[in-house]
Amino acid sequence: MNKVTVDFKKVSKSYFIGRHKYGRLSETLSSVTSKLLGKNTPIVQTKFWALKNTSFAVKEGETLGIIGKNGSGKSTILKLISRITYPNKGEINVRGRVGAFIELGAGLHPDLSGRENIYLYGAILGMKRDEIDLKFREIVDFAEIHKFLDIPIKRYSSGMYSRLGFSVCAFCDPEILLVDEVLAVGDVNFQTKCLTKMQSFAKSDKTVVFVSHDLKAIKKICNRVILLDHGKIVNDGKPNRVIADYLANYAQKSLE
Amino acid sequence: MIKNIKELIKYRELLTAFIIREVKVRYKETILGAFWAVIQPLSLMIVFTVIFSLFLKIETDGVPYPLFAYSALLPWTFFTTSLSFGSIGLVNNSSLITKVYFPRETIPFSSIGAAFLDFLIAGLIFIVLMVYYKVPITFNLLFLIPIIAALIIFTSAVVLFTSALIVIWRDIKFVVPLVTQLWIFATPVIYPVSKVPEKFRVIYTLDPIVPIISSFRSTVLGGRPSLVDLVTATIMSCVLFVFAYWFFKSKEKTFADII
Repeated sequence: MNKVTVDFKKVSKSYFIGRHKYGRLSETLSSVTSKLLGKNTPIVQTKFWALKNTSFAVKEGETLGIIGKNGSGKSTILKLISRITYPNKGEINVRGRVGAFIELGAGLHPDLSGRENIYLYGAILGMKRDEIDLKFREIVDFAEIHKFLDIPIKRYSSGMYSRLGFSVCAFCDPEILLVDEVLAVGDVNFQTKCLTKMQSFAKSDKTVVFVSHDLKAIKKICNRVILLDHGKIVNDGKPNRVIADYLANYAQKSLE
Repeated sequence: MIKNIKELIKYRELLTAFIIREVKVRYKETILGAFWAVIQPLSLMIVFTVIFSLFLKIETDGVPYPLFAYSALLPWTFFTTSLSFGSIGLVNNSSLITKVYFPRETIPFSSIGAAFLDFLIAGLIFIVLMVYYKVPITFNLLFLIPIIAALIIFTSAVVLFTSALIVIWRDIKFVVPLVTQLWIFATPVIYPVSKVPEKFRVIYTLDPIVPIISSFRSTVLGGRPSLVDLVTATIMSCVLFVFAYWFFKSKEKTFADII
C-alpha cells in the first residue's frame, strides 16, 4: 500500500479582489474610526473563492495531472501544497520535501551568474551546499547551459531561464515534484526531456503533480487526472476518461 | 517560537546564500564597491565635525570630535542600513515570496547580515582613528560582544516589524526613511547624553538604541559601559525582538496573498 503524500481535507481558499487587495493605510484607518464612532459602514470586500471545499489525496508513485480552464484553481492547489500560501478553511498535510517549479524565473536573481543562481536556488529549495556540489554537474548538463555558466542570467533567453529553473528543481531530490505550465517556453527537445524526467520520478515512488493545458503531455505522463471547474473538483480518475469529459463538457463552454 | 527557530536553523544555508547575494548584488557594477560601506559613516563624520565641532563647538567631555562622532556613527549606520534595506526586503523580493516557500524572515535577516559586513569594514577605519588619536586598547573592549549582540537583536526587532508592516501597508515605506532621519537627533550621535536635560533623561533612555550607542561609544573610547545601561538595553531589545518575531510570523502566512 503506497503512502499518502499530499492530503487535502475540505480545503477552501479565497482571495480578496478589488479594494482590499493592497490594504491601504487610509482604508484600515477609516474602518477603525468608523467602528470607534459606532457607525457600521462595512467596506465592500470582494472575495473570490479560488478553491471551494476541495478534498483529495495523492499517493507515492502517482503522477497527478490537474486540468481545467483558466482561473479554475489549478495553480492555487500547487501554491497550497508548496506552502507559499495557506488555506482559509480545511487542512492540508504534505509529507516529504517539495520541489516546486511553479513560475518562470522563480528564485532566480537576474544580476547573478548561472553558477551563483544554481547555489542560491538550491538553497531556497532547502539543499545544503555540499548536496548542490554533488548535483552541480548533472544540473548543468540537464539545463545545457555550460557556455553561459558565468554570465549574469539577465542575459539569458527565456528558454534558458526555464531550463535552469527546472533542472535545479528536478535535481534537488524532492519527494514531491510540482510543475506548472512553465515548460511551454522550452523547445520541443527540452520539453520531452522534462517529461521523461518526470516519468522517471514517478517510477521511483515519488509524487508528481503536473498542471498543464497541454493535454497530450498530461495523457503521456499522468496516471490520474483531476478536472477543476470554478474551484471544485468535477472529475477525478483515469486520464483518458477525464480528458474526454473536459473536452466534451468544459472546454467547449469557454469557446462559446 | 522554538519551532520557528528550529526551522530557521534548518535553512541556515539559505540565510548565508541570501547574505552573499545581498552583498554581491549591492556592490556589483559599482566602481568603488565595498568602499561605499566606509563612505557613508565617514562623510557624515566629516560634516558633523565641521558643523558641530568647528562651528557650534559642542562639548564632548574632552573626546576629539571625529572620534566622538565616528564611534556612534558605526552602530548607527549599521542600524539605518539594516533598516533601509531590510524593511523593503520582502516587497522587493515579492517574486520569490509568491513563487517559492522558505522561512520569510531569512530575507530581512539577510539585510542585517549584509549591513553587519559593512559595519565590520567601516570598523577598520575606526581602528585607524584609534591608533591616530592613541586610544588605549584594553580588555574592556570585550564588552563590545554583549553590546553588539544587543545592537543586532534590537535592529532585528525593528527590521522584522517594519518589513511585515510594509507588506500590509505600503505607506510605511515612506515613513521609515523619514523616521530614521529624525531619529538620529533623538540619539546621542551628534551630542553626548550629558547634554540632555535631567527631566527628559528617563524618557530619552527608554529608546534602547540610546544606551546601546552610548555603551558602544564609551567602550571603544577605552572606558567601560554603564552596566545599568547595558542590562536595560539588552532586556528591552529581547522583549521587542520576541514581540516583533511573533508579529512577523503571525502575518507571514498572508504575505504571498497581499504582497
